[in-house]
Amino acid sequence: MNIKKKDIASEIFTGSMADISFLLIIYFMITSAFSATRGLDFALPEETDTPEIKQEDSIEVHVLPGGAIEVDKKDIPIDGLLPYVLEKLQQNPEKPVILRTDPDATYGDMISVFDRLRRANEEWTDDLGNPLYKDVNGDPLVEIKTISIPTQREIENIWNLLGMG
Amino acid sequence: MALIRGRDRGTGAAIFTASMADIVFLLIVFFVLTYKVEVDKTQMSLPETWIRKKVPEKAAVISIAPPSMGSTIRVSTGEEMALPVATIEEVITFASTEVAKNPNREFILKADKNSPYGRVDEVLDALKQSKVKYIFLLSEQLTAEEL
Repeated sequence: MNIKKKDIASEIFTGSMADISFLLIIYFMITSAFSATRGLDFALPEETDTPEIKQEDSIEVHVLPGGAIEVDKKDIPIDGLLPYVLEKLQQNPEKPVILRTDPDATYGDMISVFDRLRRANEEWTDDLGNPLYKDVNGDPLVEIKTISIPTQREIENIWNLLGMG
Repeated sequence: MALIRGRDRGTGAAIFTASMADIVFLLIVFFVLTYKVEVDKTQMSLPETWIRKKVPEKAAVISIAPPSMGSTIRVSTGEEMALPVATIEEVITFASTEVAKNPNREFILKADKNSPYGRVDEVLDALKQSKVKYIFLLSEQLTAEEL
């Protein structure tokens, strides 16, 4: 007697695959959209190559509470910062800029001034990257070579060394 | 007299969905590959900047919460979720340990733009004392121009 075989098809149920896939897409889109991945970089000097900076040989930028700035003890609008620094660096391109921030100022105030100083390269070159200004030696001036951000402890140490603490 | 009608021939409009699965899987693969786990999920307003460089992946992260959240400092090696620290000495210990493992270790400083600079100064000083060489100050996703 012939027994009829019943074919049972082996299938993976894929009906819910689309739902799971869309759920995963939505999860990845939402969680990856809010992660910030860019910022301002700066390198700290190594102790071995830290030059001694005399105050008169530098440009001192002091960020005050509220975001106003004093440059070399003079009130200067933020838009006047780079022109002032440019004029000083044209005389001495090695002059470092010391960025000092009042502890009561906000981090945002400090960052806006630091960002402005870092934009010197963009402001002092044309669209093709060619220098627009030259220093007293005739060399192109395209950026601020040294921007130093001393901490409060370092400033106090200097004052103590000078007997002003 | 009623007319005898033939069998209706359905001509329903259908959207072709056979390639949907391919597209969906392609998107999933893209997101899985580009996905970066955010080790610190503290909600804060980052400062806006013009200069924006890509921060290195897997860099150590130090975050300073907004004043409204107690200006809490959190640290992470970049691979695990950030943990709060109670004192600035703990930041020095953390950073020194990371620098001992890799002298060129990069650090990302994530701080709210309304944080008092004094608090940020303490963290920067801790990083300097720990001989950290490279710091990235995290900024808003959009540039100052876009905002």
